[in-house]
Amino acid sequence: MLKVENVKKAFGGTIVLDGVNLTVNPGEVVSILGSSGSGKSTLIRCINGLEKLNAGRITVDDFDVSKPKELAEARKRSGTVFQLFNLYPHMSALQNITLAPIEVLKRPKAEAEAEGRALLASVGLGDRADAYPAQLSGGQRQRVGICRALAMQPRYLLLDEVTSALDPEMTSEVLDILAKLAKSGTTMVFVTHEIEFARQISNRIVFLEKGVLLVDLPTAEFFSAEGGLAQPRVAQFLSKMRKD
Amino acid sequence: MRLDLTILAPHLGFLAEGALLTAQVCALALIGSVVLGMLVAIARTSQRKWLNRLAFAYVDLFRNVPFIVQLFFFYYGLPEIGIYIDAFTTGVVALSISGGAYASDAIRAGILAIDDGIIEAAEVSGLSQGTTFTRIVLPIALRTSIRPLGSVLINMILTSSILSTITLNELTGNAKIVASDTFRPFEVYVVLLVVYASLTYLVSLGITLLHRWLNRDMQEQVN
Ligand SMILES: Nc1ncnc2c1ncn2[C@@H]1O[C@H](COP(=O)(O)OP(=O)(O)O)[C@@H](O)[C@H]1O
Ligand SMILES: [Mg+2]
Repeated sequence: MLKVENVKKAFGGTIVLDGVNLTVNPGEVVSILGSSGSGKSTLIRCINGLEKLNAGRITVDDFDVSKPKELAEARKRSGTVFQLFNLYPHMSALQNITLAPIEVLKRPKAEAEAEGRALLASVGLGDRADAYPAQLSGGQRQRVGICRALAMQPRYLLLDEVTSALDPEMTSEVLDILAKLAKSGTTMVFVTHEIEFARQISNRIVFLEKGVLLVDLPTAEFFSAEGGLAQPRVAQFLSKMRKD
Repeated sequence: MRLDLTILAPHLGFLAEGALLTAQVCALALIGSVVLGMLVAIARTSQRKWLNRLAFAYVDLFRNVPFIVQLFFFYYGLPEIGIYIDAFTTGVVALSISGGAYASDAIRAGILAIDDGIIEAAEVSGLSQGTTFTRIVLPIALRTSIRPLGSVLINMILTSSILSTITLNELTGNAKIVASDTFRPFEVYVVLLVVYASLTYLVSLGITLLHRWLNRDMQEQVN
């Protein structure tokens, strides 16, 4: 279980997360919606330990990310896919994927590479294992980014606007893969602006507004008039997103 | 006056010895200054304040003092306080220390240019700081800093000609001796020109190949 309890985070005087509570159970897909600047990325960065909390607690399978000794274990259990891919530019697609399994999990190189190749094949990049990031399209890069995270066999996959830097065609390439992952039971925390897609794959949807988690509902309820839409901010956000 | 290189025939062995010594000193100082440059670049980009200050002080000091003064200090100054180092070692150490100051600049610039997101990706995947540095930070930094680093190294080869002032019989030192023995400075210094140009050309060729290899992903753009 991934548990975010009463988390507060401020940058200088700006409060970015103001007492956020969120629980993600194994097998669940939870989408996080919210307008730009509402704190979505910061929440993800608190979960993977890139930002220190000011208050509250985050545990990944009971490992507390704020405790230096437990952070390594917590990080082994979560994998992050970034908006701007953040691939290692000097390494091939395959090397990007196998580095952490070999160095962190101490997997034998041959095994890690075989698994890396299988992962690449599963996202339609079987023939691009030796290509460098600069030689790949944006959509291909993000598929490598997903493989890199999956290679660590994380219990929880954290995705922060992973299609925001992609054009529509590439976006659907990547979303197809995420849909498959969701179907196969991968636990995901999915920050996105792809509302329709979130609706299709999520068990739950939460709505973040100015650092406060306004709504946390099963997907169907989130989109119902008595549920999420009863919140004026949510209704406003959804109608605006649909227009764009 | 005609250029008559045959006049140098009897002195070729002596000149070659000098050239070999220059090559040895430069090869060792090249390694020394790159290693030192890396360590100092780490210190200068480190979060630890004292390490940071120490590294900046080192770079400032050795960039703001003429090389020949540093050299004389090591070779003629230190024995006063009981530290004796032979000329060869002094040459290598002095070149490494002063080259390291400049090399650290080149490497530091490369490190600072790396996208934070790449480092964060390494961090969340659980890579240790050491592994992140050797496998990610350094190779990426070198992609951009290899060229300025090359200039530093070539400058170091040129600077090595000063080592004859501390009795080291490197190429320039031996050439001076031959020139005064033969009264043919023109021929002697023509040879010297060619040898230094060849040495630096060799290094810049090596740098170009290294640059190409480090940036191999940018070559034949597929797609
Ligand atoms: N490192 C930082 N320093 C200062 N302010 C930050 C930093 N990171 C984010 N913020 C601020 O926190 C707020 C939330 O940012 P973010 O979590 O990126 O929102 P979102 O991902 O929902 O767009 C924004 O106002 C942003 O300017
Ligand atoms: Mg964001």
